[in-house]
Amino acid sequence: MTGPPVTPKPPGPPGRLDHAVFDADLSGRAFDLRLALRLARYLRPYAGLLVGSSVLVLIAAVMGVAMPVVMTRVIIDEVLFPTPGRKAPDFGTLAALRGIESATGLDPLPAACLLYASILLVMVGVMHAQRMLLARACLSALRDLRQRLFAHLQGLAPSFYDHVAVGRVMTRVTNDVEVLLELFWGVGMLVGEVVPFFLALVLMFAADPALAALLLLSLPVVGVATWLFRRATRVVYRQVRQSVSRLNQNLQENLSGMRVVQTHVREPRNLARYGEINQENRRQETHAVHLEVAYGGFVDSLNGMALALILGFGGVQVLGGALSLGTVVLFARYTDLLMRPIVALGEQYNVLYRAMASAERIFQLLDWDEHLRTPATPRALPERLSGSVSFRNLTFAYPGGPPVLEDVNIDVAPGEKLAIVGATGSGKTTLARLLSRFYDFDEGEILVDGVDVRDLDPRALRGRLGVVLQDFHVFTGSVRENLELGEATVATRAEEAARLVQADGFIRALPEGYDTDLTERGGNLSHGQRQLLSFARVLATDPDILILDEATSSIDPETEGRIQEALHRITEGRTAILIAHRLLTVQEADRIVVLHHGRVRETGTHDELLAQGGIYSTLHALQFRDPEEGGAPA
Amino acid sequence: MRELLRLLPYAREHRTALVLGNGLLLLARVFEAFVPQLLRVGIDGLAEGSAPLAWLAFGILALTAARYVAIFYGRRAVRRMGVEVAWDLRNRLYAHLQRQGPAFFGRLRTGDLMARAINDIGLIRRVVAQGTRTVLVLIFSSGVAFTFMVVQSPSLTLLLIPPMPIIFVVAYLSSQRLYRESMDVQEGFSTLSDRVQENLGGIRTIQALGQEEREVARFGADNEAYLGANLALLRTNSALAAVMPGLGGLAVLCVLYFGGVRVLSGDITLGTFTAFVWYLNMVLWPVREAGNMINLFQRGAAGCARLWELLDAEPEIADRPSGRAPERVEGALELDRVSFRYPSADTAALDDVSFRVAPGETLAILGRVGAGKSTLLHLLVRLGEPTRGEIKLDGVPLDEYGLAHLRRSVALVPQDAFLFSESVRENLSYDDPDRDRDELEHAADVADFAETLAGFPEGWETLVGERGVLLSGGQKQRLTLARALVRRAPVLLLDDPFASVDAETEERILGRLPQLRGRGTTVMVTHRVSAARLADRVVVLEAGRVIEAGPPDALRAQGGAYAEMERVQRRERLLVQQLEEGGDAA
Repeated sequence: MTGPPVTPKPPGPPGRLDHAVFDADLSGRAFDLRLALRLARYLRPYAGLLVGSSVLVLIAAVMGVAMPVVMTRVIIDEVLFPTPGRKAPDFGTLAALRGIESATGLDPLPAACLLYASILLVMVGVMHAQRMLLARACLSALRDLRQRLFAHLQGLAPSFYDHVAVGRVMTRVTNDVEVLLELFWGVGMLVGEVVPFFLALVLMFAADPALAALLLLSLPVVGVATWLFRRATRVVYRQVRQSVSRLNQNLQENLSGMRVVQTHVREPRNLARYGEINQENRRQETHAVHLEVAYGGFVDSLNGMALALILGFGGVQVLGGALSLGTVVLFARYTDLLMRPIVALGEQYNVLYRAMASAERIFQLLDWDEHLRTPATPRALPERLSGSVSFRNLTFAYPGGPPVLEDVNIDVAPGEKLAIVGATGSGKTTLARLLSRFYDFDEGEILVDGVDVRDLDPRALRGRLGVVLQDFHVFTGSVRENLELGEATVATRAEEAARLVQADGFIRALPEGYDTDLTERGGNLSHGQRQLLSFARVLATDPDILILDEATSSIDPETEGRIQEALHRITEGRTAILIAHRLLTVQEADRIVVLHHGRVRETGTHDELLAQGGIYSTLHALQFRDPEEGGAPA
Repeated sequence: MRELLRLLPYAREHRTALVLGNGLLLLARVFEAFVPQLLRVGIDGLAEGSAPLAWLAFGILALTAARYVAIFYGRRAVRRMGVEVAWDLRNRLYAHLQRQGPAFFGRLRTGDLMARAINDIGLIRRVVAQGTRTVLVLIFSSGVAFTFMVVQSPSLTLLLIPPMPIIFVVAYLSSQRLYRESMDVQEGFSTLSDRVQENLGGIRTIQALGQEEREVARFGADNEAYLGANLALLRTNSALAAVMPGLGGLAVLCVLYFGGVRVLSGDITLGTFTAFVWYLNMVLWPVREAGNMINLFQRGAAGCARLWELLDAEPEIADRPSGRAPERVEGALELDRVSFRYPSADTAALDDVSFRVAPGETLAILGRVGAGKSTLLHLLVRLGEPTRGEIKLDGVPLDEYGLAHLRRSVALVPQDAFLFSESVRENLSYDDPDRDRDELEHAADVADFAETLAGFPEGWETLVGERGVLLSGGQKQRLTLARALVRRAPVLLLDDPFASVDAETEERILGRLPQLRGRGTTVMVTHRVSAARLADRVVVLEAGRVIEAGPPDALRAQGGAYAEMERVQRRERLLVQQLEEGGDAA
C-alpha cells in the first residue's frame, strides 16, 4: 500500500511526484483494520438503527429456526405421524400448540397450521423492518461520507486542482462510495445468516448429536472449497477491475477530447484500441464466470449431498427406532441454514476486497491536506474594511517555477483606485491571486487594513474582497440565482449591479430575463456575456475591495466604454485594483503601477508619472497620436 | 419492458449458447425433480420399517452430480452470453459516441455518459445473463414440479389456484414501481456525478466568491434526494421480499392443512405428502424469487432505456460522400451566405457570412470573443452544419466529402489545447502513430516546441498528464499546433492557438509556417493584429456578421474596426517594448 501522503509538498518537481498518487491504481488489502474502523466511525451516529436492526435480526433468526421445528416436531412427529423414535426437543412449540388448541378449541392440525402461519407472518414483517433500519443506517452513513468528501474538496487549495484531473477526484466521491454501500449492506445482512447458523447448530445437537456432528464435519469441506475459490477469484477479480478501470479511463478521455479525436480522424484507431481493452476485459470476465459457475454449482449441490447423508445415516437410525422421522426431516431443513453463512461470507470477501480499495482511495482524498496555511485563531475582520492594501517586499514563485513576483512594494490607500499595467506574464494576475489568498507565499507580506492576510481566515477575507477572475464559472440555475448566490441581502443589489456593468440589457433580452436558466458552464451565453455576469455577481456582494483582473477583456468596445463611464460609480466607496494590459482602463485610476517581469517599474499618479518622464509618459504621449507616425520602432 | 425486447437481436446472435445453456439448465431441473421421488420412497419405507437407504442415498448423490454437470455447463453458456453482450454493447456505444456531434455532447454531459456506459451496461449484462435463465428455469421448474404434483395428487394441486391471482397483482403493481424507482436511483447517481464534476470545474470561482457552503448545501440536497431514491427502491424491494415469500408460505400452509387431513385419514402416505411439499417449494420458488426477478428486469429495462437513448441518437453530422470530392484537395474555400444558430440560442452565432479563400492564401479572422470565429472554423471541419448557406471546398460542398477525407484535408488547431494523457510523441503523432521521427521533429521545430522538448528529461517519451496538466499553457498550445502541422493538410485552421504564447513567438512561428506548409491554405483566428497583418486577407467578424474584409493594408487605410484594433494593439506592443527597454536600462 502506498503510504498516505499527509504532507503534499515534498521537495522535487512539484505537481508531478506528489499528486501522481491520484493517478495510481491502489492495490488494496483484503482487510485493513484501520480503514475498517474509520469506516465504522461513519456508522456510529446511526448506532441506534443498527442496534435495532440487530435485535430484529435475532428475532427473525429465532423464528426462522423455529419454523422447521413446528413443521417437523409438531406437525410430523406429533400431529401426523407419531413415531416411536426419540424425538427432538420441541423448544416450547408444543406448549404453544396446546395453548392455541385450548384458546381456540381447534383440532391439533389446524392449530399447528395457525401456529406456523403466525410465526411466518411475524418473521416476514420483522425481516422487512430490519432491512429498512439497516438500509437507513448504511445509506445515511454513506450520505455523510459523500458530504464530507464534497465539503473537503471545497476547501482544498487551488494548487491541488492545478495538478489533479477532475475525473480522478470525481469517481472517489461517486463510484467509490457506491462500492462501500455493498460492503455495509453485505456485512449487515451477514448477521442475518450467521445467527441462524448457531441457533440451528444448537438445535441439531440437542436433537441428535451424532448426526449433527456428522454434518458439522462436512462444513470444513465447504469452507475449504470456498476459500480455494476466493483465492482463485481474487487474482481474476483484480484483473477484471483493472481492465474495467482502463476501459473507463479510455472512454472518459475520449469523451473529453472528442473534438480532437474527430478532427484528427482518430476514430478507427481509438475504437481499435478500446476494442483491445474491451477484448481483454471480456477474456477476464469469461475467466471469472467459469470460476463462479464451478463454485456456484457446488454450492447448489450441497443440499442434495446433505440430503443423501441425512437419509443414509439418519434413516438407519429411524429404522432402528432411535430417531423420529420428524428429526430426519428437521435435519434436512437445517442444512441450508448451516451452509448459507459460509457461502455468504465468501461473497462478502470479494466485496470486502473492492471496498477496501475504495475506502483507501476515499480516505487518501480526505487526508489530503493541501490547504492554505491558516492561523489557529485567525484575526477577526471589522464589519467593513477601510480598504487599505499593502504589498511589502513580496516575492513569489509557483512551486518549481521561476519567480513571478520579485520584491514588490505597493501601497493602496482606502478608497483609492489603483491600476496595474503590464504585459501578459508580468505577474499582475499573481498579485491578485495572492491578495485573495489562493496561494501561500513565504517572502514578504500583504497587509489589508494593516493586518497580514496570512493572519486572517482566507474565507473571511475573500468575503470582503470582490475578485473578478479571468475564468468565469456560471452556476447551473437562473441568472438571478447566479447574481444573488443565495443571499437575500444581495437580491436588492443584483439588478442594480447588472445595470452598472451593462449586463442588464442582454439579461432582459434572454427568453425569461432574470429567470432564464443557465446551462452548465453558461453554454447559452457568449464569452463576453458570462464575463459581464461574473462582474455583476461580484459587484452585487458589495465588496470593500474590488479587484478586476482583465474584467472586460472579452467584452465588446462599446460595452466596455460604457463600463468605463460607470467606473466611478462601480468603485465608489471602495478600494479598487484594476488589472489591465489595455491602457484605456488605466486613465480612470488614481494611481498607476507599471509591472514588468514581476518587478514594479514605475508608480505614481497620472501627473507624477507624466512629470517623471518615464515609460508611462512615453506611453501617454503615444495615446494621442498614431504610433506609426511617431516613428516608433516597428 | 419494451426496452428489453430490443435485446432480442443480441439473443439471436447467441442462439446456440441461449438454447444449449437453457436446455441444460432445464435438464438440471428434471434431475432435481426426481429427488423428492427418492425421498418419498425413503420416507414411506422408513414409516413401514424397511427402506433401501444406501441405494436411495446413492441415487440422490447421482442426481446431484448429474445436476451439477448440467448446471455448470448451462450457467456457463448463459453467463458468458452476458459477458459477450456487454462487450458488444460497449464496442457499439464507443463507436457510436465517436460519431456524435457537438449538440449531442452539449445535451449529455460526460458524467452522465460515463454512468450509462458503466452502470447501465452492467445492469443489462445481468439481465441477459440471469434474466433468460431465470424466466425459463422458473417457468419450467414450476411446470415440472406442477406435473409431478398433479400426478401425485390432483386435488391437492388445486389448492394452489387461490393464491396465484394475488401474487400476480402484487407482482404487476410492484414492477411498475420498481421501474420508476430504479430510474430515479440511476438518475440520482448521474446528477450527483454531474454536480461534482461541475463544481470541481469551477472551484476557483467558487472559492473566490466564498460559495463553498452554498455548493455544499446544493450538493447536500442532491445527496439527500439520492438517499431518498435509494431508500424508496430498497423499501419496495424489501417489501416485495417480504410479501412474496409470505404469500408462498400461505400456499404451503394450505397444502399443509389439507394434506395433513388426508394423511390423517390415510388417503396419502407421509412420503407422498413430504414429496408434495417439496414440489410445492419448487413451484413457489418463482414466487419467492419474484421480487429479485422483477427488480432485475426493471433495473435492466431502465438501463436499456438509458442506453438505447444514446444509441438512438442519429449522428448530427451525416457521413454521405457523394463521390464528387476531389482526391487531392487544393484548398479553395468558399462560404456562401452561411448562417449558424446553436440549438439553445436565440440569436444566430453566424449571420450571412460569405467569403472566399484561394488555394495557398492565408486568411485572418479577427473579432471579439463571441463574434462567431470559432463557430466558423468548426463549420469548416463539419463540427456543425450551417443552418443556412453553403460551404464549398475546391468547388464541392463540404457535405459531399467523406468526413474522414474532409478532416484529413482540413486540419483544425482548436482553441482549447486538449492533450491526451500519453507521451509527447504519442500526442504529436495522434492521427497516425506510424509517422517517422523526422516529420515529428520538423513539426515540433516549426511550432517552436523543439527547445521545450529538449528541456524535458525524458524527451519524446515525457508523459503530459491528463488533459496535459503537467505542461504549461504555452507548451500545450505549441504542442497542439505541432500536432496539426505534422499532418500537412492542404487547409490549416488555427483557432487562436497563440493566446498563451507571446507575440514574438507567434510571429516567429507564423514566419516559419510557409517552409512547412508550402502552398497550403491557412485560416487563422487571432486576437492580434500583428499576426493578422501577416495574412493575405483579413475578415473582421462582429456578432456573427462580416463587418470588414480585405487585405490588411486596405483595411488599415479604411479606418474602421480593423484600423482601430491595430492602433490599440500597436500601443500595447509599444508599452511592452518600452518596458523591455526600461528593464534593460534599470
